[in-house]
Amino acid sequence: MNGKNKRFVLMGASASLLIASIAGTHWAMSHTVPHTAEQLKAFHEVFMEQVRIGDLLFHGDEETQKTLGVNLSNTGMACAMCHPFASDNHPYEFPKFQEQMNEFATLRDMINWCIEKPNQGEKIDPDGPAMKALEAYIYWSNRGSVLDPGRH
Amino acid sequence: MKRCERHEMDKELCKPGVHPDRSLDITRRIFLHKTLLTGTMVGAAAYGFFPLLNTIDIAGAATGENFKFAWISDTHLYPRELNERFVEKTIRAISEVKAMDPPADFLIFGGDLAQLGDPVELKLGAELLKDLDIKQVFIPGEHDWYLDMGDLWEKQFGTSPWKFDHKGVRFIGLNTIGQAPDYWSAKKMTPKERMGHMATLDGSVAGPWAGLGHEQLKWLSDALSDWPKDKPVIIFSHNPLYEYYPPWNFWVRDWREVHEIVKPYKNITNIHGHTHQILYNEIGAMRSIGMLATAWPWPYAPEGVPHLTKPMIRVDPGDHFDGLGWSKFTVPAGAMAENEYVMWRKTKDLFAEAAVDSGAGDNVNQELHPRTADKIWPY
Repeated sequence: MNGKNKRFVLMGASASLLIASIAGTHWAMSHTVPHTAEQLKAFHEVFMEQVRIGDLLFHGDEETQKTLGVNLSNTGMACAMCHPFASDNHPYEFPKFQEQMNEFATLRDMINWCIEKPNQGEKIDPDGPAMKALEAYIYWSNRGSVLDPGRH
Repeated sequence: MKRCERHEMDKELCKPGVHPDRSLDITRRIFLHKTLLTGTMVGAAAYGFFPLLNTIDIAGAATGENFKFAWISDTHLYPRELNERFVEKTIRAISEVKAMDPPADFLIFGGDLAQLGDPVELKLGAELLKDLDIKQVFIPGEHDWYLDMGDLWEKQFGTSPWKFDHKGVRFIGLNTIGQAPDYWSAKKMTPKERMGHMATLDGSVAGPWAGLGHEQLKWLSDALSDWPKDKPVIIFSHNPLYEYYPPWNFWVRDWREVHEIVKPYKNITNIHGHTHQILYNEIGAMRSIGMLATAWPWPYAPEGVPHLTKPMIRVDPGDHFDGLGWSKFTVPAGAMAENEYVMWRKTKDLFAEAAVDSGAGDNVNQELHPRTADKIWPY
C-alpha cells in the first residue's frame, strides 16, 4: 500500500471512530442540549474531509479515483475544466427537468450524465463514496446560494 | 453597484468621455453596408453595440488595402489517442480558416495549443497546423510552457514578444504567460507537478502568474515609439490586458503599466485568448476583444465581467462543439478590425438578452475561497 492510500485508510478509520464515539456518547442528547464546540468542530471536519476528496475528484486527481475505484473520464477532461470553482453547476436548481437528459433529474443524475457524456468516463454508484464527496464539494462551493428547485 | 465600479482599474480608467475613437464604431459601419446592400432599414437595437457578426467583404469598396486575418487559440491538445474530440475541433478550425475566400493574409495562434506542454501535444499541434499554407504567427499560453519552461515551444514556434507591420497596421504579439513568480523551486516540484498546477484554472498554487514583466513592458514601449499615435495598432496577448478576474488570471497583473504605455495611441485594439468566451471591454482608449476556444468554454467568472460585454448564451454541454470556434477579422483601410465570431453553434443566437440565458449572474453568490485540496499541501 503506498503512502497516499495509507493516508486515505487512516483518515477513513479516524472518521469512523469519531462518528462511533459521537454516536455512542452524545448522539441521543444532540437535540436536547447545545452542541459543544468540540462536537461542532468534529462534525465540520468530517464534512470538510468529504469536500476535500470531492475537490480532488472534481479536478481529476488520479490517485483519489484509483483509491475510490472510479474512472470519471477517459479523455483527460475533468469536471473543473468546464466548472472552475464549481461554477455553473447550479446545485440549488435540482431536482428539475434536465433538457439534455430529457427527464426529471437530481443533482446526482446530472453528475453521472456529465461523467458519461462530456467526460466520456464511467458512471459511478449514485450512493457511493465518490458521489457523496462530489456532491459535498459542489454544494459547499455554492453555499450562500438560494434554493430554487425546478428552475431551468 | 455597477460592475464597472468594482475594480481599481475601472476607478482609474472608466473616466467620463474616455473611450476608443467613435469614428471607428464598427457595428454602425456594418449596418450602413447592410442597409445599402439590402435596400431595407435595419434596426440597430437588434444588434446592440457589439462589434462582430456577419462581417461583409468590403474589398474594393474602400480606398487603400483591405485584408483579413484569422485567430485560433486554446485548442488544448492532448495526445491524439487520449482525446480525439480536441483534435477534431482543431482540424475543423484549421479547415475553416483554409476555406476563407478571399484568404486570410495570416493566422495568429493565440496560445494553449497543448494541454500539458507535452512534446507529443505540441508536435501534434504543429503537424495539424501544417495543413494551412498561409503565414502563421504564434504567442504562447501557460499550457504550452510550464513543463519545460517554453523550451520546445520557442524552438517550434519562435520567441515572443514580436512585432510586424502589415498594410498600415502595426501588429504586436506578447508573451503574458512566461513571467510567473517561482512557485515550484522551494517546493521541489517536478516539471509535471509545476505544469499541473499551472493547468488548473481555479487552483491557488500558481498564483497571479499572468503579466508582461519589466523587460517586456520596456520592449512594448520601444515597439510603439516609432509608430504614429493615430495609426492602427493591434496587440495580441494570451491573457486580457485588463483586470477581469485575477483568481483565474483573467488579467495581467501589470495592466496599469500596460495602460500607461498605450495611452497616447488613439487606435488600439487588444485581441486575447485564455478566457474561452465572448468578451468586450474598453479600457481608456483601448478596446479589448476576447476570443473563443476550440477545446471547451469557460463560464463567466463570479464577478468582474466587463459591463460592455454582451455575454454569450450558455453552452449546451451535450454538444461538444457548442460555444466554441475561432475568429475572422476584416481590416478595412484606415479603420480597425471587424470581428466575426465563427461559433460552432447549431442556432444563430450568440448573445443573451437576459442574465438567466448567459449564466453571467449565476455565480455571484459564491463565497470565493482557495481550493480546499490546495490547503493541505502534499510537499
